Amino acid sequence: MLVSAILTAGLYVVMSYGLALIYGVMRLINLSHAGTMMLGAFIALTLNRAFHLDPILGSLIVLPLFFGFGVVLYALVVRRIARSAPIVSLLLLFGLWLVLQNVAYLIWGNEDQSIVTPYTYLSLRVGFLSLAVTRLIVFAAGLAALAVLAWFMSSTYTGKAIRAVSLNYEASRLAGINVERISALAFGLGTGLAAFAGSLLTLLFSFTPDFGGVFQTKAFAVIVLGGLTSFVGVAVGSLLLALVESFGVLFIRASLQNLIAFGLLFVALVFMPGGVTSLFLSRRGGRG
Amino acid sequence: MSRKDAVVALVLLTILAAAPYLLGGSYLLDLGVLTFLFISQAIAWNVLGGYAGQISFGYAAFFGIGAYTTGYLWLHGWEPLLTLPIGAALAALFSLIVGLPAFRLTGPYFVIATLAVGLAMRVVALNTEAITGGASGLNLPTQVPGKAWFYYSMLILMSGCFLISALVRRSRFGMALTALRLDQAAAASLGVNVALYKNLAHTLGAVLVAVGGGIYAVYFQYIHPDQVFGFEISIGMVLMPVIGGLGTLWGPVLGGMLYYAIADTLLTVFPFAHLLVYGLLLMIIMLIEPRGLLGFARLVPSRFVMPRRARHPYPLAPDSSVPSE
Repeated sequence: MLVSAILTAGLYVVMSYGLALIYGVMRLINLSHAGTMMLGAFIALTLNRAFHLDPILGSLIVLPLFFGFGVVLYALVVRRIARSAPIVSLLLLFGLWLVLQNVAYLIWGNEDQSIVTPYTYLSLRVGFLSLAVTRLIVFAAGLAALAVLAWFMSSTYTGKAIRAVSLNYEASRLAGINVERISALAFGLGTGLAAFAGSLLTLLFSFTPDFGGVFQTKAFAVIVLGGLTSFVGVAVGSLLLALVESFGVLFIRASLQNLIAFGLLFVALVFMPGGVTSLFLSRRGGRG
Repeated sequence: MSRKDAVVALVLLTILAAAPYLLGGSYLLDLGVLTFLFISQAIAWNVLGGYAGQISFGYAAFFGIGAYTTGYLWLHGWEPLLTLPIGAALAALFSLIVGLPAFRLTGPYFVIATLAVGLAMRVVALNTEAITGGASGLNLPTQVPGKAWFYYSMLILMSGCFLISALVRRSRFGMALTALRLDQAAAASLGVNVALYKNLAHTLGAVLVAVGGGIYAVYFQYIHPDQVFGFEISIGMVLMPVIGGLGTLWGPVLGGMLYYAIADTLLTVFPFAHLLVYGLLLMIIMLIEPRGLLGFARLVPSRFVMPRRARHPYPLAPDSSVPSE
């Protein structure tokens, strides 16, 4: 059960990090996150139907595709409202979500879709544990993506610039960082990651154009738990959510499992608004 | 409410009150009941969303609480009208459960919390069969007054919402909401208790929406979690004021009228993708004129009549501010 929680956590990190990235750089809550995830899943489905492409390979195509989509979206739309009142960006991105969702309804209809691969029902025995192969693959793919991302964030100029902008927008601009370009990149990256996570989810769940709402709430719960912007926070938040969810099943009905994320969100809001990491920091006397 | 607004409102009210006698027909009554309900919801949402600039995507929770309180108590022998205050009180309580932790913090927490609550309440309602009937819904008694009764009670509800919204707008409370929308830090430094006023606005909206939910339950005599707690209810409450004119007195009224008329047509033309049009509309409004139709309307004559400075009846924020924490 612990292992399965960790596997789920890997997925949650990929799913949530895009949200944290965009919030960090632009202070925007990306309400179209769910729409992007859903669209990523459907593109993976279409690739699978048309070319018998494995969703794992599909997700590798989806990632750059949606990176481009995000950058274009930023240049055409988001850039114009990034500096206006939060209410404007919220409603705009919410409108975008509705558009994406309903375009998907028009194209793919409202039936449950799923992708079945040769290994969908296989499982691996490790000692006394029996693990579904799909979950292992998703975890590995997520971990690989995160490793690349961690390297990118800590070792390249662009990655460092993204982190600098999330820490302080004005100071970064004064230091000569092209904040406009960084914002476009961050939005693209966040969108790409959301779609990547969406296409990985096709291995585990069936989906409809409505899909995403629950995952978006989980992603929100994760980033609130993690303190909204930090990479480590997202990882800790994901692990926490996954653990509480898998152990929660022992105590509550399975149909209520999705409520755990909501419950955790409220606990976080009441007791640790700075996220889990702020608890460690304040204990060490650091800044909260 | 200026004198002009009051006169217009009274004239409209008289026409609407007389309409069933002059025109008759049960279609008109049905149309009236639902349109008034939508408008009253839009006005209620606008207090927090428009005046205070705090977007909530979770108002369906209050609508559902109102509907289910009335439904449940009615089945246990209560007079439906007497259940409305109970539903309102429960909704107020619930609004505080959401608002107290979320408004304590600045930042995007409230929006996130409302999205979560909106989705969660539907799941909760589906899983508490003892009270809500779960997925099979709740059949309510069938002895109800005629359609005219509902027409007039919704009209009264809508007028009440309008009056409250107009009074709030002119009061100290309303000014505090506007101040905290424009610049929360500045408002707080001038002694506005930001969290208190946000909570008050949230609760006020919740109470009004819950009363509408209660009457809705009696009108339809059947309630289902997917319907009264549905995300579409919350989306509608966001869309109506935004289409009409966020934070204005008449915007929600205009938006509510349009919304119901358009929604009805779109639903028959595109059963699945009817929200596509609203999504696009929302994006266009936000990109071009975030103040909605009333904003557009004011743009046109202002070129000729009004001086440029007077063109901003509803500033969304002080000049383009850089995001900060």
